[in-house]
Amino acid sequence: MPVLEVNQLRKSFGDVHAVNGISFAVEPGEIFTIIGPNGAGKTTTLEMIEGLLPPDAGDIRFGSLNWAKNGEQIKQDIGVQPQSSALFDLLTVEENLKLFATFYSHSRSAEEVMDMINLTDQRSRHVKKLSGGQKQRLAIGLAMINDPKIIFLDEPTTGLDPQARRNIWDIILKLKELGKTTILTTHYMEEAEKLSDRVCIVDQGQIVTLDTPAALIERLTMEREVRLSFLDGEAAAAETEQAARQISSVVRTEREDASLKLWSTKPEETLYELFGYTKDRGFRVEQISIREMSLEDVFIAFTGKEWRD
Amino acid sequence: MAAKQFAGMFAAQVKTMFRDKQTWFWSLFFPIILMVLFMIIFGGGGSSSFKATIAVADPSPNASSTAILETLKQIPVFELKEDQPVTVDQGRDWVEQEDVDALIVLPKTEGVSEVGLIVNRASEQSATTQAVSSILNTIVQQANLSAVGATATYTVSMESITTAADDVKYQDFLLTGMIGLSVAQGGLFGMVEIVDMRKRGLLKRLSMTPARMGLFGLAGMLVRLMLGIIQIVCLALVGVFAFGATLHINIFSLVIAFIVGALVFSAMGYLFSSFSKTMEAYMGMANIASMLMMFLSGVFFPINTLPDWLQIVPKIIPLTYFVDGMRDGLIYANGIASSSFWMGIGIMTIWGVACYLVASQVYKSKSISAVR
Repeated sequence: MPVLEVNQLRKSFGDVHAVNGISFAVEPGEIFTIIGPNGAGKTTTLEMIEGLLPPDAGDIRFGSLNWAKNGEQIKQDIGVQPQSSALFDLLTVEENLKLFATFYSHSRSAEEVMDMINLTDQRSRHVKKLSGGQKQRLAIGLAMINDPKIIFLDEPTTGLDPQARRNIWDIILKLKELGKTTILTTHYMEEAEKLSDRVCIVDQGQIVTLDTPAALIERLTMEREVRLSFLDGEAAAAETEQAARQISSVVRTEREDASLKLWSTKPEETLYELFGYTKDRGFRVEQISIREMSLEDVFIAFTGKEWRD
Repeated sequence: MAAKQFAGMFAAQVKTMFRDKQTWFWSLFFPIILMVLFMIIFGGGGSSSFKATIAVADPSPNASSTAILETLKQIPVFELKEDQPVTVDQGRDWVEQEDVDALIVLPKTEGVSEVGLIVNRASEQSATTQAVSSILNTIVQQANLSAVGATATYTVSMESITTAADDVKYQDFLLTGMIGLSVAQGGLFGMVEIVDMRKRGLLKRLSMTPARMGLFGLAGMLVRLMLGIIQIVCLALVGVFAFGATLHINIFSLVIAFIVGALVFSAMGYLFSSFSKTMEAYMGMANIASMLMMFLSGVFFPINTLPDWLQIVPKIIPLTYFVDGMRDGLIYANGIASSSFWMGIGIMTIWGVACYLVASQVYKSKSISAVR
């Protein structure tokens, strides 16, 4: 049974249909990621699910609970890290956690949470003296102080450096190990691909597609890009290009000096044949790569939009 | 559950307040500096006695003029610039230069004649001129009476009284005014916290938890009352020990006026917060309100020094009644049995309730999450 079910959710602000009929169900223990360009309706969707905004239409169910009847119980069961990390600046890390712990009937110890978010060394530090990454970790810590069944993380890594981002990924994966359900929004495709069990691409208030990252990429049955570069210079590359054009699975080629790009519907077979050719001719290949398809390609394919971080 | 939340919220807000340097500056340091300045400028170093420097001209000395001159010399509040009479021209010069407050020209003949009083036009309406002129009138009347060999049938005997057990000095007046003002400002400015919390998404964050916002507000109110008590104690200590102010405390009227006042001005602050998107907007409103009230509520000067047409304003604004209430409790030792005390409390309460209701209505009309 899904821990969260969202059905035909709609919300308009004046003439703008921010959310226009979104439905999905999240299974227990999943990391469910919502991605989409700015203004796609991600945060509005989350805020409706979190009980901050009343939807114009549609329903939201947490198992057998809903906001109209069980608001207090739902608040006890969920943890939220909003986009702007809202913390008490003049309190220490530990004091923030202990304050939030008093709000709930059941809570984890501050000790345990500080350990999970790796802020034990900063426990007595005032929040205003923390770095951006540390603040973000504390915001996630506050979201898990009540040991929630479902955690909502709204762009937890936006604006962080790569190291700080990785620290947050570790926390999210730890939550998964604990069997928690995480609902995540992000700006980073790499992050969605790495962390998510399922990804939901949202654009213009609607779901464009929803599946596991691997399945989404697989759906892009288009040709893959293969790159080869030659130690023996332009001549070798040009001859190989000619040979490649004879292979049926190669759709198109492109060459620049000693490096060759080709698009193939069956990249493994193409490479096998090409290596046979280069071996016969004695060409030395310097680098080979098959460009991996990523969620970014999925995004572009489904929305027709360039992805920008 | 509620008790646990309340204890946590109270502890958090106490810590936040004590760690915020701005709070200390604006709630304690600034009012003390302001009070010290006013005490030094208007307190007159403790003894506020009236003195006027005068010059006397005696164009043609005669028995009457000599008698009046002798009398003038004995008036303690008159200080003669020159012991001997000067020429009228010299005297006029001094008046023009403001070297003396007034020139008195003694009568030229012994018979029917007049005593001249010459003052600078700039100070024609001043209290000093009024005082000099009335003293001079009394002397001339005495001289008239003795000229016809009569004694006065009626004399005025004056005695000053106040409701206080002791005389109320300007120091006491100013000290209690400052205490009232700083407690009121604590409320007016303190609610900027709400604007700040809304701007930083903290209100939104708290509303995602089972935390009860009513409890959070109540805890904040209690913290502000604590700060108010600290303000009263610190200002009173400075006033009493550094400037010799005398307090006669009635604890009942003090506590009631203090709690009602602190709540009313917080309600006003709450109203400002409901209208303000930014902290700057809030501070602007709070500053205007506090400036207007500061000078129109008898904090620094008694209300009757205001021009007549402006007298209506202090009768409306709550700070007047708050300062009066604080004075009842701190210097007049008036109990809670006076109707004017309760009228003041009543008017303040009306303000407080009205502000609170309007603010709640404004807040209801906008959603918290509409502010990002």
